[in-house]
Amino acid sequence: MTDRLTQLQDAVDQLAQQFVAAVHFVHKRHDYQTLGPNDKVREVKPEEMQQTIDPLPAEDFQAGLSELSRDLITKEQQIEYLISMLPGLQNSEEDQEKSIKELEEDLKAAEAQRQEALKEKDEILAELDRVIQSIRRP
Amino acid sequence: MADEEDPQSLVGTFPEPPSFYKDFTPANVARIEELRKTAGLKDLTPRLPNVPEYLINLQPPAEPEDGKWRVFGDHYTLEDKLPTLEEVGAVSLPPTHPSRLQSSPSSSQVAQNNHYDHALELKRLTKSLLLNFLELLTTLSQNPGHASAKISDINTLLINIHHALNEYRPHQARESAAELMQDHLDTIRRETTSVREGVDRARRVLEGLGSLTFAEREASQAPVDEEAEKNRLKQQEELTLWNCADALLA
Repeated sequence: MTDRLTQLQDAVDQLAQQFVAAVHFVHKRHDYQTLGPNDKVREVKPEEMQQTIDPLPAEDFQAGLSELSRDLITKEQQIEYLISMLPGLQNSEEDQEKSIKELEEDLKAAEAQRQEALKEKDEILAELDRVIQSIRRP
Repeated sequence: MADEEDPQSLVGTFPEPPSFYKDFTPANVARIEELRKTAGLKDLTPRLPNVPEYLINLQPPAEPEDGKWRVFGDHYTLEDKLPTLEEVGAVSLPPTHPSRLQSSPSSSQVAQNNHYDHALELKRLTKSLLLNFLELLTTLSQNPGHASAKISDINTLLINIHHALNEYRPHQARESAAELMQDHLDTIRRETTSVREGVDRARRVLEGLGSLTFAEREASQAPVDEEAEKNRLKQQEELTLWNCADALLA
């Protein structure tokens, strides 16, 4: 689990990779089309066709297209969500410094209290020890 | 001196140490210590302005004058700051938010809204990234030769997003520092209360114990006294008996 900024940067990079993947998909997996009624798809030998494109059936191609575009939108939404989850958006630098200073003071006070409590604990422990010993003596 | 390569050093698995290690003789080290002492320098500033030639390797080299150096093909600077996009050679997209456009950066209102705008700016950049991709696809389908301009647009957008995120890093660092401190504070407070609870429990036990021992002692002391009294009475009785017998026998 990395921090949110790194997550966000990773997500942006993933979006860029998805761009490449989408272009690649469209580039490689389409089938030949005719542009006018008089056009005819040129017959190519199967082994030659293998090298340029690898057409999918029309429905699968459409399904792939819509899946890729859905993924793109989802990733973009993820990025926006991550942006709105960035820590401390509402705090300015002065706010941060102030709250850090306050926390520092609180920490000092709490530490002092803790030491006091520990001292008290030691005292009560010694007291208890003494009592137990005095019980055993007779 | 440093250029004299030992031919064996080319064969070894590990590279030889730099030849100036030979300068660190006890005599030389003592000499430079003395020089430092006479110059009155503290440990933190160990560079002496004028040292003899043979001692030159015994002190660290000076800072690079322009504050830049290269190690392993990477550039480093003394000042640890984020280079601006212009310095890297990328196009910096101007901020589009109206509040940042119309007011000068010195006004305090901008400083307050700065990070909120940051998020908005980022969202805009992401949106235009998608839009530019759509345009790229359109260009590709109609005139693939013109696509390179769009690709460089997308490149600029991506660089700008990353740059904006990196600018945000110090802010996040402060934020997580505050978070850590808050966590630590909570831990300390929890610990203190649990210790206090323990102390209180122990104190109650002690008090209970104290009253217990007291009662026992009273209970055990009372019969002892009674017995002593009985013994005393018995002895007295015996004593009077013996006295009577003595009187009778006499």
